[in-house]
This record gives sequence, C-alpha cells and structure tokens, in this order.
Amino acid sequence: MPLILLLTQQMCLYLVIVYLLSKTPLFKLFAETATRLPHKVYIYLIFSGFCIMATYFGEQTNDAIANTRAMGAVLGGLLGGPITGFLVGLTGGLHRYSMGGFTDLACAISTTLEGLSAGIVGFYLRKQNRSEMVYAPLLVALVTFSAEMLQMALILAIAKPYGEAMDLVKQIALPMLTVNSIGAALFMSMVRDQKTMFDKLSSAFSTKALKIAERSVGILSKGFDQEGSTKVAQIILEETNVGAVAITDREKLLAFIGIGDDHHIPGTPISSKITQDAIEQNCVMFADGVETPYACSISPQCRLGSSLVIPLRCESEVIGTIKLYEPKNKLFLNINRTLGEGIARLMSNQILYGRYELQQSLLTQAELKLLQAQVNPHFLFNALNTIAAITGKDPLMARQLLQHLSQFLRINLKRTTGLVTLGDELEHIDAYLTIEKARFIDKLSVHIDIPPMLHQYRLPAFTLQPIIENAVKHGTSHLLEPGEIWVSGRAEQDLLILEVKDNAGLYRQELNTDTSGLGMSIVHKRIQSLFGPHYGVKINCEKDRFTQVIITLPLNDAAQTEPTA
Amino acid sequence: MITCLIIDDEPFAREALTDQLKTYPDLEVIGQCSNAIEGMQAIGKLKPQLIFVDIQMPKISGLEMVAMLDPDSMPRVVFVTAFDEYAIKAFDNHAFDYLLKPVDEARLATTITRVRRDLHQQPLDAVLPTKLEHVPCYCGNRLKVINVDEVEFAFSDLSGIHVTTAQEQVHTHLTLKVLEEKTELVRCHKQYLVSPQAISEIVILENGAEVLTHSGKTIPVSRRFLKPLKQLFGFH
Repeated sequence: MPLILLLTQQMCLYLVIVYLLSKTPLFKLFAETATRLPHKVYIYLIFSGFCIMATYFGEQTNDAIANTRAMGAVLGGLLGGPITGFLVGLTGGLHRYSMGGFTDLACAISTTLEGLSAGIVGFYLRKQNRSEMVYAPLLVALVTFSAEMLQMALILAIAKPYGEAMDLVKQIALPMLTVNSIGAALFMSMVRDQKTMFDKLSSAFSTKALKIAERSVGILSKGFDQEGSTKVAQIILEETNVGAVAITDREKLLAFIGIGDDHHIPGTPISSKITQDAIEQNCVMFADGVETPYACSISPQCRLGSSLVIPLRCESEVIGTIKLYEPKNKLFLNINRTLGEGIARLMSNQILYGRYELQQSLLTQAELKLLQAQVNPHFLFNALNTIAAITGKDPLMARQLLQHLSQFLRINLKRTTGLVTLGDELEHIDAYLTIEKARFIDKLSVHIDIPPMLHQYRLPAFTLQPIIENAVKHGTSHLLEPGEIWVSGRAEQDLLILEVKDNAGLYRQELNTDTSGLGMSIVHKRIQSLFGPHYGVKINCEKDRFTQVIITLPLNDAAQTEPTA
Repeated sequence: MITCLIIDDEPFAREALTDQLKTYPDLEVIGQCSNAIEGMQAIGKLKPQLIFVDIQMPKISGLEMVAMLDPDSMPRVVFVTAFDEYAIKAFDNHAFDYLLKPVDEARLATTITRVRRDLHQQPLDAVLPTKLEHVPCYCGNRLKVINVDEVEFAFSDLSGIHVTTAQEQVHTHLTLKVLEEKTELVRCHKQYLVSPQAISEIVILENGAEVLTHSGKTIPVSRRFLKPLKQLFGFH
C-alpha cells in the first residue's frame, strides 16, 4: 500500500498550494464561472501547471507513472469548459508523452479525453442552469472517478504488451482512482467554501450599508447641524460597531459618539491634523495606528488608536468630514473603510438634497412675500381715491370703507406663509371686495357660493384672494358692460375644489409671464410644492365670454396639519 | 359759461370732481360718462368746451379716445389719472396740464385759471398714441370695440361711416380721415379705406379697379388711388 500513501502525499501538497492560492485575489477567479477569454486563459495556465506538476511528482511504477494528473484535467474542464478542458488535458498529455514509457501514448490520450469530458459535463450543467452543481464535491468525485476508469481502460486498450499493462493497472488502479477522486472533491469543496464565505460577506456588507442608508434617510436633508449629525453618528456606530464615530463641518465637531466621547466634545473646533488635511486636500485620510501613527490630539489617555477621515462633499466643495475610529486594541477592518466611504457619499447626497429643498422653500417664501407686496400699491391707491371721493358725500360709508381697508391690510401683514382656514381666506376676500365694489358700484357683482361646512378646511394663505383680485384687475375692470364674478367651492371625494369665474374672458397665456400672471403661477407652484403634483391651479378661458380658474386642494389630513417648515 | 364733460369709469371719482367743479360759477358740468365710447358719443352730441378724461378706462383708454376725436372739433382736454406713470412722464415732458387723483383743490384752481385764459386746444400729438388699436362701433344699440387688425375696410355713405370685418359690418363715429391717419387702412376710393392685409386680389377694370378681400367682398378702387395701391404691393 505504499503507492496510495505516496499519492495521498502528493494530493496533500496540492491542497496546500490551493490553500495558499485561496489567500490571494486570484482565487476569486475559481469561484466564478469562466466566461471571458482572460479568465479561461488563467484557468488553462493554472490547471496545466497542476497536470505537469502531477506528472513530475508521480511515482515511477513498472516503467509507468502513478500520478494525480487527472485532478488537474478534470477541474480545469469543469471550471473552464470543454475547450479549456481539452487544452489543459492536451498540454498535460503531451508533457506526459514526452516523458516516455510504455503507457505514454495511452496516458496522453486519456488525459486529453479526461479534460474534454469534464468540460462537457460542466458545459452541460451550465446549459441546464445548474452551474452550482459544478461546485458539488460529490459530483466532482464521480466525474474524476469515471475519468480515471476511462484512463485505465485506455491503458489496457492501447499500451503494449497487454500483459504488462494489465499488471500495471492492477497495481495503480485503486490508489489512483481513490486519491484523484478525493483530491478533486476536496479541492472543489475548498473553492465552494471560499465562495460561500465571500457571498456571505458581501451580502452582510450590503445589508449593513442598506440599513444605514434606510435609517439615516431624511435626517440630514433637514440641515447639516449638530442634531442631525448626532442621530446619524449614532446609527453608524450601531451598525458598524466601530469604536467611535464623529462628524464635523469645516470648523468644528458636530457630533461624537463612542469611545472617547468624554473629551471629544461636539461644538469644539477641529484640532486633529488628519481631519484638517482631509478637508484641505479633499481626500480620504487613514491613520491605521501601525504604519501611520495615530494619536488623539486632545487627550494622551485617549483609547482610540486608528482613524479614518472621509470628506463630505457638496458639489465638489468640502463641507465637513465623517470620521470612524477604532480603539488601540482593535484592528481597523477593511470592510469598515469601504463602508465609511459609502456612508460619506450617502450623507453628501442627503445634505445636497437638503440644501436644494431649503432653497426651493426660500424661493416660494420670497415669491409669497412678493405676492403680498404686489397686492398693495395700486389697490391701496384706488381704495384711498375712492374713499377720498366719497368722504364729502357719504362720511359713514367712507368710514366703513376705511375699516375694511385697514382689516384687509392687517390680514395681509399678519399672515405668514402657513395654512389658514377657508373661512379666514373668505374674510380677507370680503374686505377686498367691499372696497372694489365701492369703486365700481354698479359695474361689479360678486356671487360667493361656498357651503359653510367647508369653511373649516385649511388652505395655503393667499390662495383664493389673488385669483379673485386677478379676475377684477385683469378681467371685469376691462369690460364696458357690468362685470360678474362667481366664486364657488365644493368637496369632491378627498378634494377641495374652488372655482373663480368671471364674465370677461380676457385671460391670455402670454400674460402669464409678466406681473398679471405672477400671482396665479405662485399660487399654483406653492400648492404643488406643499401637496404634490396632483393639486394646483387650472385655467379655462373662452375669449370674451369667461375665464374660469379651478383650484384643486387636498381635503384630507395633509392639508389639516401645518407642514413642518 | 364753460361747458364741461367728465369721463371716468369710477362713479365716485366722477361725483367728487363734479362737486369740486361746482365751486366755479363759470363752469357747468353738462354730462358724465363712464367709458370712452359713451364719452365720444357725448362729445359729438353735447359739444363740450372742456373735457376731464380719466386715462385708465376699460377697452379704450382716455389717451386713445382723445386720439380718435376729430382734430377740427376737439374740445380742450384735461387728463385725470391715478397712477399711469408713462402718461405722467409724457405730460411732464411736454408741459401738459393734468390732474392727479385724488384731485387737489389748489391744483384744480390753477388748471381752471389756465383754461379760462385760453380755451384753445394745445397740440396734443406729442402725448397721444399715433396709431389706434381699437375702433369703437355700434351694432344696433350695442356698443362694440373692434381691434383695428380685424378691420377689412371702412367706407362712408349717406347713413354715416361703416367698418367691415370678415364677420360683420358695424357703424362707427370715427371719421374716415381719423381712420386713415391713425390706422393702417389705406385710401382706395373717395369713400373707401382698405386694410392691405385684407386684400387678396386687385382686379383691373376698364375704368378703375376692384379689390377682392380675403372674406370675398369687393371694394371699388378709383383710378386716382389705384397707382399708390399697386405701389404698396410693389407693382409698377
């Protein structure tokens, strides 16, 4: 039985080499199905090498060589496909042929056939969408076993004289069949384990990244400040299990959570050189505490021993950093470095989004201010003229108009950008209309038909009033005949629909770009930005007959709670 | 007595001005109008010597209305305005008299003094629009304002001046002379003006010619006006 032991020894040598290979990035290539040419070339080179080595290490037995060459050929075929398998086998076979001996031809042919047939098995399995079977050790053992049987048969068929061949086969068949089958199976099981571990690792990584993203979404978009940063730092610490997490802006520490939070106080200026460098150079800085020494810049007693600093970018400008720390007794994991960079990108996006949102809302607010201001001069002027004109004749009415005017102005000044009830808005409209009606006594009539039950519903301030003002200013006041305006409201499922219609029909699309349409488009934009694209202002106009403005608002809770600004 | 007419679309503004004018014994307010069309009608009928015209009025502004008046029978005009900054700038540049609302007593007194001294019309061309945008018309007893570019042709007959668009024919108080001067319409006959945009064909006849409009109407062209009409389209 010394032959089987010798072969086992060979196999063990192989497995050691495979184990060493598994520690290099090259090994990852075994774990993937070879589809591309460079990959196939790599498989060919590795396994041809195995075949040749196996022949050299082989045991001279009766002018023949007992060996583990079959392992290389079979694995090469399974992993690389029929052509690669064939070439691996052929290379191994030609090499064996060059060594001579009475079985040289039989061995050369059989090795080539072994590679080819394993390749065909692998190809067939992939075609059946069962490529994971390629990595099943039992299957590999079976394929190798069959391949070795084939080799034995070929030796008997081809090698001359037959008698010697028969003796040889009797001697080597059992050890070679056993060792090659087991060896190939072990090899494949190592590949499979590595592959499983790798999959598990990357899935754990993605899960972690996704979880951080999911938990921190929206926090920083409300503003890059201490409160938001602390929440995000807490989440990162919990998910990554690093020693500590810090977030800074360009000047100061915004949040610090974890080991050392007794002396790293949020709000204090950045003191560490590594962070300042990361901000200035706009690049990731890493001090692993081994090659690049890391020392806490605040306290010599600090337990933190390594630090990763990643800049947070907002449109290529560095706006702060995120820092991950590990204590001196713990190694900084590579996975956390990659994860850290991903988190920094995520946070940067969120901050950018937050800034964009803020700008949008500032814009809407500014436009609303404009809308408020826009109401005043002409209207005020006309109102004062009317009042001046009637003071002599009808002092009582003049006084009433002044009261309405002051009420109108008071509401205008007092109102913020928030929501008001429809009742409030109607009061504002009433004050406005009383003054306009006094200007055009006989020429303007307004019919308001909004059921009192709708008065409690809320809508953005200055939604209805500017539309009615437009109907007067750009509509009925241009008519020779009496102007009429109808204002109506209704609840339709979960919608509050308000409608303003005049009998002028003078709305023109091109007016929408100048001041006349400004009020209308601000109202529209504001409704959309508060409630979404399903709501807003729609205009129907039939020239010289009517202009109809329809305002659609939500009638549900969305509009009933003050949006948090 | 100086007869005056007030044209303003705001009733209280008219009344307030009427009240203020009552303090001048030599002035008599003979009418009030609430828009430019009524105003032109009243001017034609009442022949006031002085008119107070608001600039901001529906459809036809005070300035446009004055531009429509026949220069030969033009009353003295005082513009009244609330906030038309362009008009005010134009008035200031040409030293025209105007009143700002609400009308200041002292300012009104200065204006009346000036009017008493000289009731002749100042040359207003500098501040009036050179081209009209609208033509005030009557259709039965209905008032109608037609955009100038809709007009195909205008003509006069014994019953007055008529304006024809692709759809209808209406009556106007504007003279052919005013229309010829202040619109794109061109003379093609002693009694006819035609819009060059409305011409689809010019048919040469033995004695003169005819114009065919896009809406299929025919207009006579007299020999005297045929040449300039042809030249307008580049025929020589």
